[in-house]
Amino acid sequence: MSASTSSRTINRRALFSLAGAAGAAAAGLSPAFAQAQFRGRELVSSSFGGPGMEIMQRVVFDAFGARTGARATQVPLLSAQAFARMRAEKDNPQLDMYMFSGGQEVTAKAEGLTQPIVGASRMSQIPANLRDPDGHWVVWGVIAEGILYRTDKIANPPTSYADFFRPELQGHIAFPHITNGYGMDFLVMLARMNGGGERNIDPGFEAMKRLRGASIFRAPTDVQTLFSQGDIWMLPYDAATAVRSNRMGLPVAFATPREGAPAVFLTACIAKNSRNAEMAAQIIDGLLGAESQIAIAREVVWGPSNPTVQLPADIAATVARPDQLAVLDRDAINAARPQWAERWNREIAGG
Amino acid sequence: MGGALEPRDRRGLILPKWLPPALLLLPAALVFGGLFVWPQLGLFATSVASPPPIGFATYQRFLGDSFYVAVLVRTLSLGACVTLVCLICGFPLAFFLARLESRWVPFLIMIVSFPLWVSAVVRSFAWMVLLLRNGLVSIWLRDAGLAPAGFQLMYSFAGIVIALAQVLLPLMVITLYAVIKGIDRDLENAAMNLGASPGRAVCLVTLRLARGGIFAGSLLVFSLSISAFATPSLVGGATAQLMAVAIYEQTLEINDWPFAATISAILLAIALSVALVYGRLIDGRNVPVR
Repeated sequence: MSASTSSRTINRRALFSLAGAAGAAAAGLSPAFAQAQFRGRELVSSSFGGPGMEIMQRVVFDAFGARTGARATQVPLLSAQAFARMRAEKDNPQLDMYMFSGGQEVTAKAEGLTQPIVGASRMSQIPANLRDPDGHWVVWGVIAEGILYRTDKIANPPTSYADFFRPELQGHIAFPHITNGYGMDFLVMLARMNGGGERNIDPGFEAMKRLRGASIFRAPTDVQTLFSQGDIWMLPYDAATAVRSNRMGLPVAFATPREGAPAVFLTACIAKNSRNAEMAAQIIDGLLGAESQIAIAREVVWGPSNPTVQLPADIAATVARPDQLAVLDRDAINAARPQWAERWNREIAGG
Repeated sequence: MGGALEPRDRRGLILPKWLPPALLLLPAALVFGGLFVWPQLGLFATSVASPPPIGFATYQRFLGDSFYVAVLVRTLSLGACVTLVCLICGFPLAFFLARLESRWVPFLIMIVSFPLWVSAVVRSFAWMVLLLRNGLVSIWLRDAGLAPAGFQLMYSFAGIVIALAQVLLPLMVITLYAVIKGIDRDLENAAMNLGASPGRAVCLVTLRLARGGIFAGSLLVFSLSISAFATPSLVGGATAQLMAVAIYEQTLEINDWPFAATISAILLAIALSVALVYGRLIDGRNVPVR
């Protein structure tokens, strides 16, 4: 270290790479060369936007950039749009890395749009059901869905999806469109509650028809508008939105339904033919680290996927426990999505 | 028209007659060809490839399904309603502006164009505040006895018409303004000299001479409203079962690209034929362009 202290002209990046090299040498590894070769390169990932993206940028992407001299950025893209782009840019991907929340990674792998993630050592810490057996994708966060309600309008908090049918709440209910992932899961949970499920969706449609008069919205941003208008008291959505609404000053709380909180898995994968696959693997490794997982849980209530990560008690209380989650059969849902969407458009949206 | 003047270059050589117009058209043709015609052909190829290599299964699926035919009809009636509202609100406004002799006219036209300056998302938010059940407009309608209890304009067809008409009105007004401005006022005066009331003079003279503008403005508003996506889906929610929304869903949510290509090909074909028929009806060709 005497070399760096003696020279005041040495720049920060050089210092970092020096420290990285020293650390690697100490650990008996040889990524020093790899670190240096990223300098000046640029990695772009899709992301979900909002505060979650900002935290990941700060904790993972910027840290990676500082360590390697590369540039790592994110562009906000909803999963469906991101997947369409991944498909369209199949041969010459402009984005190196993709984040999905709707199970698109499975289709992407099946269509040959992904490549194995090589060099993310923390992948082995992730439970086998949260990563692809061939290493093409990995879950880095878990969103818990449930019931959002106005605390000032609803005296006894909802505990179940059955509460959407309480007579006194009629006309004060909203739910998302089927093309919104939460709208799809709401349909599935209504089916489960009435003796059906992913493979028998009819009871879900029957139940949803009984919610006639409910407001059906498409845009995620409508949640706050609907709540702030005072007319809508309860809707199915996620814990992160409850926190955000709260920070906007709305009296909104999140309730975990008795039937289980449908889990949405946030995944990362690397585009086939990406020239920056090694960099992407390191970014993904960063997303699986404790610092990132805790920061994300604190700010946006997305639960950790890495069981070795210990959440501080105050954060742990707000994040749904694994035993509170309902794990939906995403393969069955994705396979049936076109038919359900068509049927939904005919039977539910027609009003 | 321009036959009297032979285009010459500096040395007095006569250029082939077709060359100057061809050169003038070239930039636009290149952009239009590369960015519209070529992708459109690709889209069309996608739509007629199921089952491969050449098949029309997606067209049969669309046209043979009363649900999708209803989507088409709803889209066309949305276009017609928005155009009508814009025409009814826009013509008097354009007439007023065109006849106004004031230095404030440019400023007033700028004010008219305001809705275009705001993004569709922000504008739709504003409409939500007015059209939701607890919103001003919905409350007024209920209080006036024009709507049943619990009624809201948000998430309804009427709400979509209102929101689209607001944003497309400036296009109608500005198009009509330019045309009405170009109509000689003396023609109205002459009509009145010959015994027509002012209202009749406007109908007989101005309205007729403005046919070209009415055609252009209506076409602009109609084509933009049948292809609009953001405003209808935000204001209409689940009721926005329209062609553009169906294309979006098939492309991004359901990932059925051949069917999405089919819907857009049908939308384009219908928009073009409506434009042709409408043009015939209003006979824009006989109107002197000023």
